[in-house]
Amino acid sequence: MAVASTERRFDLLIRAEALPEPEKEWLIILRRFARHRLAVASAIGLIIVLTVSFFARSIAPYTATELEIGNAFATPLSSTEAGRTHWLGTDHLGRDYFSRIIFAGRITLTVAFASVLGSSIVGVLVGAVSGYFGKWVDEILMRFVEFLLTVPTLPILLILSSILIQSPELIPVPEFVINGLSAAMYIAPREARQVVMVIIVLMSFGWLTTARLMRGMVLSLREMEFTEASRALGASSLRIIVRHMIPNAMAPIIVDASLALAGYVITEAALSFLGFGIQDPTPTWGNMLSFTQSYMFQHPWLPLIPGLPIFFCALMFNFVGDGLRDALDPRLKR
Amino acid sequence: MTAYLIRRALQMLVVLFVSALVSYLIINIAPGGPLAGLRQRVGTSTSQISEDDIARRRAYYELDLYLPYRFGRWLIGVPSGPIKIFGKTLFSDHIVGCRKPVEADVMDDKGEFHLVTVGCNEYVTMADLEGRRTSKGIVRGDFGTSWGILRDRPVFGLVLTRLPRTLELMGLSILISLMIGLPLGVYQAVKQYSSFDYTFTFFAFAGSSMPTFFFGIVLILTLSVLAKNAGLFWLPPGNAVGVREYFVPMLGTITPGSLLDQVLHVIMPATVLVLFNTAFYSRFVRSSMLEVMRQNYVRTARAKGLIERVVILKHALRNALIPFVTVVVYALPGAFGGAIITETVFNWPGMGRLFIDSLGRNDYPVSMALLLITAFLTVVATLIGDILYTLVDPRIKYT
Repeated sequence: MAVASTERRFDLLIRAEALPEPEKEWLIILRRFARHRLAVASAIGLIIVLTVSFFARSIAPYTATELEIGNAFATPLSSTEAGRTHWLGTDHLGRDYFSRIIFAGRITLTVAFASVLGSSIVGVLVGAVSGYFGKWVDEILMRFVEFLLTVPTLPILLILSSILIQSPELIPVPEFVINGLSAAMYIAPREARQVVMVIIVLMSFGWLTTARLMRGMVLSLREMEFTEASRALGASSLRIIVRHMIPNAMAPIIVDASLALAGYVITEAALSFLGFGIQDPTPTWGNMLSFTQSYMFQHPWLPLIPGLPIFFCALMFNFVGDGLRDALDPRLKR
Repeated sequence: MTAYLIRRALQMLVVLFVSALVSYLIINIAPGGPLAGLRQRVGTSTSQISEDDIARRRAYYELDLYLPYRFGRWLIGVPSGPIKIFGKTLFSDHIVGCRKPVEADVMDDKGEFHLVTVGCNEYVTMADLEGRRTSKGIVRGDFGTSWGILRDRPVFGLVLTRLPRTLELMGLSILISLMIGLPLGVYQAVKQYSSFDYTFTFFAFAGSSMPTFFFGIVLILTLSVLAKNAGLFWLPPGNAVGVREYFVPMLGTITPGSLLDQVLHVIMPATVLVLFNTAFYSRFVRSSMLEVMRQNYVRTARAKGLIERVVILKHALRNALIPFVTVVVYALPGAFGGAIITETVFNWPGMGRLFIDSLGRNDYPVSMALLLITAFLTVVATLIGDILYTLVDPRIKYT
């Protein structure tokens, strides 16, 4: 009989019922996540929000830009002569508020997820390269990251955003990205280009913390035996980074990304609110809130409606991130 | 230590120079700018604006100079004319800019037309710079003159009029947040997993998820609009002082500019900032305390039989505050730079709103001044944080 590998021995022992069946890793994580009640509640809430945004077209009774001239500032639950109901009333141009909130959610969440995906990819790559190669590569990249981290973020974001919104042709974006986004968000390509610019602006500072986090992880992973082993087996740097470093550093990156989502929702809303983000015909929670400022003295419910989803989405992303940290934290691992 | 400080000071200068250069480039290369509206009007047939008018306006904004010269004049006030050595005038014919550029519509490979500068009719030479109004350069503390908000007045004076209000608001809110956030975080850590801890952890999450602009609007809505309509005690919704006398129930008529008037105005914006900062500070202190309380020396202190209060305050807290120092120092740039969003919502005449106004009106000298002041203070704060680190933690030594 050939010598059994360690794995095979475990397998034999388990079959002989001498060892308990090992639990699947993701089950352990799920069970630990479930212990965080608020995180579970938030995850459910987010799933609802995402579902509503996904089926926006079927749920929203109107389109985002449909005007009803002469029916501005309709009160919530009011009906039109045609017998259709404005669940949340209409805005200052007579557009259905409920529909706009739903379409805005679709856009805001797309921006948040796209930014987080983009900045995580950039951050992970920069951090991995910087940590793995060390020496002058590390020196240059990390000095650059530190420099950007000391720069006051919001003013720079505002300047970048105002420039890119005014002249989006400064950064060339492939047509298929624009067309894809414009189809996904039910907006014109011109407006989709604006959305892409805001995503780029958010990404421009978003990748910094991820890069530092990843670099720290890689620095410790680089010294592990399995890295040495794969290097001894002749694996290339690229293979070691992609197959060993990145998968092993995934847990803190995921936690970081889910917490970052909350930040992106708020920052996007802040840019739109100050008038330097996505512009009006395209609805976002931020620019809807911004417009209500002029009318809130007569129509006090108007600001509450777009403001609450910003707050709750940020809160839910924060709680889910917190729950994921508890679930994925290796220090708590059995 | 001295060698370290000198090296850090040099690094600071490099960082500041790079950030000045980068922000200057970003702002100046960007399309648009103060002449954008003018150009559009020239194109129409009824235009009354001649080429000379445009040249004059370009000279006013220094847009007729090439970027490196413009940057030099803005940074150190050089070149301000031909160089004179031993009675000789050098470089007086050196070309530094273009007074009347030739622009043409050029088709790119996609078939779209763009207005591109193709040549120059009249050049600006070094000699022309003589006698031109020029700033002494921001290095010497001259931030130039404003283009739009207070036209032709020094930016520095504009900043000085806004600074007290920002210092008042930020100072007050940071102080209160520290006074609440620090003890709160410590107590939460001491009573970890108690209902007190859970409640305030939830509040901290809510506070950091609450967008300041939304919270501000909700406060204005409830405490100003609804309360006033209901005839209850209400707070003025915007600005830092009242414009005319107003009546508040329980307090009577309030004269604008009085102490009470200022207090009433600062309450709401300060509340918004206090909620945000307290959430941040308390969470930081809590996790830092929890980390420290697990350490062996805390167990040793307990084992020695010290009373709990001494263990927590003298042994745990002092060590937990070390990382907190690096966070708190960033209150310095915050206190001067102001809170952009909160000041905008409450119409607070401070530095943050000045920045937004300057961006909206293309008043670049003002935007640049504010950016640089904030960058400078951020760098200084980082340095102070590092120095404080050595003071609170003797284990750390810089060489």
